[in-house]
Parts: sequence; structure tokens; C-alpha cells
Amino acid sequence: MLARVVRIAVVVVILGLVVTLALAFRRDPHDIRTGTVNKPAPAFTLGRLDGSGQASLADYSGKVVVVNFFASWCLPCIQENPALVRVYERYRSSDVVMLGINFQESRENGLAYVQRMGISWTSVADDDGRVALSYGVFGPPETFFIGPDGIIAGRHIGPIDEETLVTAIEKLRGQAATR
Amino acid sequence: MNRRVLIAIAVLALAGALAFAARPHETTADERVDQITTELRCPVCQGLSVKDSTSETARQMRDLVAQRVREAKTNAEIEAEFRAAYGDWIFLSPPLASWTGLVWLVPVAALAAGLALVTGRLRSGGVPQPSAPTTTEVAALRERVAREEAAEG
Amino acid sequence: MSAGDLGAAALRAALFLSLWGTGAAIYAAWRRDARVLASARVAAGFAFGLVVIAALSMMFALATHDFSILYVAENNARETPLFYSIIGLWAALEGSILLWTAILAGATAFIAFRGTLAIPRLATTALAVMFAMLTFFLLLITTPAADPFARLAVAPENGNGPNALLQTHPLMPLPPPLLYLGYVLTSVPFAYAIASLILGEGGDRWLVATRRFALISWALLGVGIVAGAWWSYAVLGWGGYWAWDPVENAAIMPWLTSTAYLHSVMVEEKRSLLRSWNLALVVATFALTILGTFLTRSGVVNSVHSFSLSAIGPILLGYLVAILVLSIGLLLWRSARLRDAGPIGTPLSREAIFLFQNVLFMAATLTVLLGTLYPLVAEAISGAQLSIGGPYFDRVEIPVALALLFLMGIGPQLPWHGASRATLERQFTAPIVAAAFGALAALITGTTALPAVLTYALGAFVLATVVQEFARGVRARRTLHGEGGVAAFANLFRRSGRRYGGYVVHIGIVLVALAVATSQARTVDAERTLAPGDSLDVAGYTIRLEAIRPVSEPQRDSIVADLAISGNGASEHLRPALVQYPNSAAAVGSPGIGAGLRDDLYTILAAYDQRTFSWATIRTRVIPGVSWLWLGGAVVGIGAIIAALPAPRRRVVRMPVAEVAVSAK
Repeated sequence: MLARVVRIAVVVVILGLVVTLALAFRRDPHDIRTGTVNKPAPAFTLGRLDGSGQASLADYSGKVVVVNFFASWCLPCIQENPALVRVYERYRSSDVVMLGINFQESRENGLAYVQRMGISWTSVADDDGRVALSYGVFGPPETFFIGPDGIIAGRHIGPIDEETLVTAIEKLRGQAATR
Repeated sequence: MNRRVLIAIAVLALAGALAFAARPHETTADERVDQITTELRCPVCQGLSVKDSTSETARQMRDLVAQRVREAKTNAEIEAEFRAAYGDWIFLSPPLASWTGLVWLVPVAALAAGLALVTGRLRSGGVPQPSAPTTTEVAALRERVAREEAAEG
Repeated sequence: MSAGDLGAAALRAALFLSLWGTGAAIYAAWRRDARVLASARVAAGFAFGLVVIAALSMMFALATHDFSILYVAENNARETPLFYSIIGLWAALEGSILLWTAILAGATAFIAFRGTLAIPRLATTALAVMFAMLTFFLLLITTPAADPFARLAVAPENGNGPNALLQTHPLMPLPPPLLYLGYVLTSVPFAYAIASLILGEGGDRWLVATRRFALISWALLGVGIVAGAWWSYAVLGWGGYWAWDPVENAAIMPWLTSTAYLHSVMVEEKRSLLRSWNLALVVATFALTILGTFLTRSGVVNSVHSFSLSAIGPILLGYLVAILVLSIGLLLWRSARLRDAGPIGTPLSREAIFLFQNVLFMAATLTVLLGTLYPLVAEAISGAQLSIGGPYFDRVEIPVALALLFLMGIGPQLPWHGASRATLERQFTAPIVAAAFGALAALITGTTALPAVLTYALGAFVLATVVQEFARGVRARRTLHGEGGVAAFANLFRRSGRRYGGYVVHIGIVLVALAVATSQARTVDAERTLAPGDSLDVAGYTIRLEAIRPVSEPQRDSIVADLAISGNGASEHLRPALVQYPNSAAAVGSPGIGAGLRDDLYTILAAYDQRTFSWATIRTRVIPGVSWLWLGGAVVGIGAIIAALPAPRRRVVRMPVAEVAVSAK
């Protein structure tokens, strides 16, 4: 009797194993979804990279905020930058705010990068990394989309393109309009 | 000295040493930081803990934990802060409370089932009487030795 | 003809021979046809030669930087030194499978020539199984999914160069071939077990024929695991040797089941029990080697050691399923013929301890398997992403390991069938006293964590039982044979190598356990940002940063911190570095390690001033006892060699009667 139970258990375990392994092919080990999406965006106040005082997330409440974590040592950041610049120009005069958060580097390096890459939106320094940790950042580049209600509506890990940016922003603007 | 007295003394000494090792003692702030960061997964590494990793992110996380410990936050509060940002993913051993606790249950259940299975097959009672090998047993053994020698030669 | 063409042609010819060999071995086993068997032998020999030629031509292509071959272009560069070029054979997926196939072909040839002489029918059937597996791997390696000789239409000017982690240390080439040898050799007992099931032989002939293979593959896995831990320690730069990484887990699982098998096999030999269990263990060990390969080579789980995502995942999964279906089917079909002869002994008999030990090893294996796969299961079922790492495995495996250490002390001291109270007292007085001293020694040396104190106590317990065994063995030989002390000691190994070699292995395991316990319990970390001339004190060492400077080599650029170490009787220079390879985005840390029997000083260059080299952040770890881990691994290897060496031929066949009399006492 017991031996039979064991036999069945072995077959079940092995079947489960094979099914799991087969299912696992559909999974991308680099796709990490956990984090702060659909939760209120953690508040922060950080010093601007150019030294002209501080910027706070609270300053932009009621607006669509695109928060981009970047660093000069991060190659994908350089790769995605033209898309960010184009989207910034496109929404410049609307209720969309772009905010760059410099990740794990010195202010001089960050500022040099911002000037070199033609970034004219606000960039702030996250000196001790606390803001990145509170957003659950893995590494730059990462982009968060914060709605007018202050909730993080979406997150993109890795270099982002223009289409993804525009789609996410338009969705949030639509939300803002219907409110 | 009598064997039994010797064994009794040794067992007492052993129990004393283990009791000393297991005694509850105050954890220092550094020990608490180590305990918490051992459980946290470094987000930029391959399965390393925040305590072990040399990455900048892990260093910042250690600093954050150390600050929270200085602020007299409880372990649960500090863990909740990281869970809010990274989800359960950030913990290297899954929480017992939810259904993920199954991962703790299965090894224990398997161990218990295995021990029950083996115990059920053991002979109970005293030491079996030494019996002379039967002729068939001797023949089987001889055959085995001959075979082994052939295989090994 | 280029080396690539030669290699590709050799593999295709080997595939043809392997197909022939499979058919010929099946026919020869069925019809007992010696002439067809001879042709299978020849096929095995030539197939081995051809795969070796393919592996050598790959090495040649790597050494000559022939970038028209995709594998060479991806894993080699003009600047790669010759040594790292040649070992590039196992630096990535396709080359590793080529090496794997070469080892498998070697094992097949060995069975064909040596095995089929002693027990022809069983070995011929086993040869057919070996050939079938070789055919699978040759098919795999000649499909586009894993073709090592795949061509590029246009050869690039230069290749990508090897993975940065694989060229920072001369130890790198060591672990993979050891592990591959261990993995592949598990297929020999598997082939014999399957052959025995197919032929419906109830006996233990398969087991006797493959005992040495099982032992050698076990030892290679064990030594490979320790060598891999050493590599991690010396290369990965975080100051640890084991992270429960999927590749490490893949290696430890078959080692655990194989250890269980090496012990339970003795129960079958002495008592003719556990027949189907031993077959199941052999199957499990082999299946776990394939599962491990699948896990780490398919990109399903991420690991520092694993290669990039590849199309061979589904193929390997299919192979694994086929093996499981075939073996489990055969086991169920033949289960009636595998009934055990009689009951097992009392709870205090040696066979009972072996059984408990088997249960613990199975639980340990299941835990590793579960922990490795559970994140996949959880995500497949609920979409939740979670992590399972060191803390989980430590919590479950450390108690199991301590229980196993305890059984390791008890098992060899108990007679078969059951022990009396007097026997127990005689056997365990000294070990229990030793255990008490072990626990006290732990406390005196400052190792006060409970698991560590238990490890010291149990380690001393086991060592005392081993010393007791050796002392009794020497005494017995002196009185029985009139030998001198040294001669008697040497003859224990010569005459009963399996038993006393096994005890040496136990000593090695105890050393490993003590090293792990000590290093886990008493490691001290310190981190400080230093300007040149500043110093940092940790655990009695003073570490002075003398300079920080860039070093340029053709294949890489490094930033090196020159550290002067003093204190604790040490006076040396360590040079941790950050190494930048052209093909890798991030710099790779290269630790500076001052190794010692008491403790290791592990130094890492964590960060530095990139403009003026005016400061460097140095992270240090003082890790006590870690050297004993490598030493323990070596002792395990030596013990296994002693156990595997053939005993001198016994002259008398009357021996077994004496043996029975002894074991019945």
C-alpha cells in the first residue's frame, strides 16, 4: 500500500517537473515585474545636478511625470537618450514633466553627461541611492510613468523607444482628461 | 574509569557546551545589519545577498539598513520597506506565511515520509541471534567473490 | 581542408559509426554473435578517435584564431593568450558539448573493449545503451542548434574574446572537465542498470561490474565541485565559495544521490536487499546529470556560470523525458523480479543506518531540486516572482548535513543485522568523549554559533570513530600477520582499500564540514575608503594602501591596488584589481587573496577615483579555515583513489566463509 503511494508520488513529481520545465521556456529570466507599479509613487526631494536648488516630486502633482533613472557609465542610457529628447520636445508645452535621476555616480560626471547629451529637462542627483531603492530600481536605464493621481502607472526596464514613451504618456494624459 | 561514568561525563560536557552556544544573547547593531542583509537579494547580482555583494547597490542597501537599525526600526519594518519597493523577490528565502511556504513544507514532509517508510521495514525487537551461514548463503558468497575477482582482474 | 571542415567531417563519420555500433551491439546481445560484437568494438574505437580529432581540431581552430568558425569568433580574439585559447573548447555551450561527447565516446570505447570481456551479454547490452546515448549527443552536435563548427559567411577581423570571468584566473580550466568526466561516467552504471533490467537479471552482476565506475564518477563530481568552489572563491570576488547557484546545485544533486548509492549498494552486496532502490538511485543520478545540464544550458534559470540562451533546451528536455520514461517503465515492469531477500536489521544495525542516511540524502537532493525550480513553479502558477537562495538552502540543508555527519560516525561502528548494548558501549565511548572535546574546542577558539559547535562536536565524533577503526585494523593485522605498525597500516589500504579508503573519504568530508562551519561562523568583513598611505585594521591584520595604478595588457586593462599586509605574522603584498575586458560592459573584480591555514585575508577593490587615483574603496574579508575546504576536497580525492585501486588478487576462495563468520558475530 505504502509502496504504491510512493510509486504514484514519484510519477506525479516527475510529471510536474517536466511540465514546469516545459512551461519555463516561455519565461524570460530577465523580465522582473515585481515592484512599485500601481502603488503611490514614493515622494522625494533631491538636489539638482546643476546646483540650482532642489526638485521635489510633490512640485509636479496633478501632472504626468516621466521619471528616468540614468548614468553616464550606462551604455543603454546613451542609446535611449535621443528618444527621450524627442519626446521631451514633443510634450514640452503640455502637462507632461520629465525628470532625470542620476544613478550611482558623482555630480560632476552626471552634469557633464547631461550637458553633452543635450538634456534640458530637470536632472537631480540621488547621492546615496535611497530614491532608486524606494522605487525598486535594478539598474539604469529605468523609466517610471507617474499619473496625475500620483500612482505609478507603468515601468520600463532597459532602453526605451519613442513609441513606448508616447503610448504610455498618452494613456496617462487620457486619464487626466477624463478626471 | 568505568565506561558508563565516562560517557555520562562526556554527555554532560557536550550538553553544557551546546546550551552555552544556544543561550539567548543580545544582538548588537552590526549583527542585526548582517542578519537582515543576509536575507536580502542584491538586485544587480546573480543570486548573491546584499551582505556578500561588493556592488554599489548592495553597499547603498547596507547603508540604508544600518541607518534604519540606528533609527531603532524593527526587522519587520525594515523588511516591509524593501518589500514595498521590490516585492517578495527581494528576499532570498520565501515567506512562510503565504502559499509559497509550501517550499518549506515539502522537504519536511518528504523526510518524515521517508523515515516512516524505512522504520516500517526495520525488524523490531532485540538483537538477532548470530547464526551460522547456511550452505546456500556460502555458495552464493563464493560465487560472488569469484565474480568480483573476475571483474576486478 | 581547414580544421573546421576536418572536425565537422569527423563528427559526421563518428555519428555514422555510432549508429552502426548501436545496431550491432543490439544484434550481438540478442543473437550472442561474437563477430558482430567485434564490429561494434571497432566502431566504438574509431568513433572515439574521430570525436577526439574533432575536439583537437576545435582547439587548433581556437589557437590559430580561425574566425570563420562562429564558435571561435564568439569565444576568442587575436589578443587571447594561447592557454586561454585552447581551453576555450569548454568556455561556451557548443564546445562543452563537444568535450562531453568526446568523454562519452571514450567511456563507450572502454566498455566495448574491456567490459564485454568479463560478462559478455550484460556488457554488450550496456554497450548498446552507451552507443544509443552517444548517438543522441552526436546527433545533437551535428544539428544547427549546437554545431560547434558552424561557419560564418564572412570571417570577422577579430573575435569577441572569451567571457571575461573565464580568463581572469589560471584555475578556470580545471572544474568543467572534472565535472563533465563525473557527469559522463555516471552513464556507465546507468547503462549497465538498464541492461540488467532489459535482460531481466535479478542479481547484482551489473552492480559489481560498475562499482568502480560509480566510485570514480562520484569522486570526480566531488572533486569537481570543490574545484568549482575554489574557482568561485578565487575569481568571482565576493569572498565566498558557494552561493547555491543553479550550476552549483546542478552539480551537487547527482553527487548527493551518488553518495547515497555508494552506501546503499553495500547493503545489496552484503544482504541482497534494496535491489530496485539501488537501480532507482543509479537512474536518478544519471537523470539528474542530464537535468542539471538542461537547467544550466537552456537559459531557463540564470546563473553566473551558465551559457547564453540556446535552442538545445527543448532537445535536452526531450532526452530527459525519454530517459525517465524508459527507466521508470523498466523498473515497474521488472519490479516483481527485484524482490528483496528477507527483512532489514534492527534500527541499530548498519543497514538501518544506511537506509536512514539514504532518506536524508534524498531529502537533501529534493530540497536542492525544489529550491532551484520553485521560482519557476511559482511563476508558472501564479505569476509571482520570488527568489530562493542561500538562506533557504542553509536553513533546510544544514540540519540535514548535521544529521548525516552524525550517521557517518555511527554507521561504520555498527555490525550488520543489529548491535547489542555491550557493542554500543565499546564502540562509542571514545567518540562521545571526543565529541565533548570537539564542542569545547569550538567554544575556546571563539566559534560559538550553535550549528558550528555541533559541527565541531560531530566532526570530532566521526574522526574518533575513524581513528578507532584504523587502530583496531592495525592491531588485528599485527597479531594475525605479525606485521610491524607501518606495514600493517599500509596493508589496511592495500588489502581492504575500499573500506579504509572510505574512512579517508570520511576524514576529508569532516575537514570540509569543519571548514564550512568555521568560515561561516567567524568571517569578519570590513570596508574603508583609503587614500594612498592610509591603512585599515581588521581581525589583527593591518592593510595599507600603497598605490593605485592602471596596468595595461594586450587583452585587458586593469586598475590595481597595491596593498601591504602586516599583522598576525603576515608580511605580504596583495593586489586586488578591477579588470576591464574589451568585450564586457562592466569591469570584473579580481580579488587579492592571502591564503593561510588559520585564515585567508580576502581583499577586493570595490571602487576608486577614476580621475586622479587619489582614493580606493577596499573591502576585506577575513575568512578563517577556508583553506581546509580545499584540503578536505583533496583528502576526499585521495580516499577515493585508495578505494578504487584494485586489491591484490586473493589466493584463497575460502575467504568468504571467514567473512560470513565475522559479519555474523
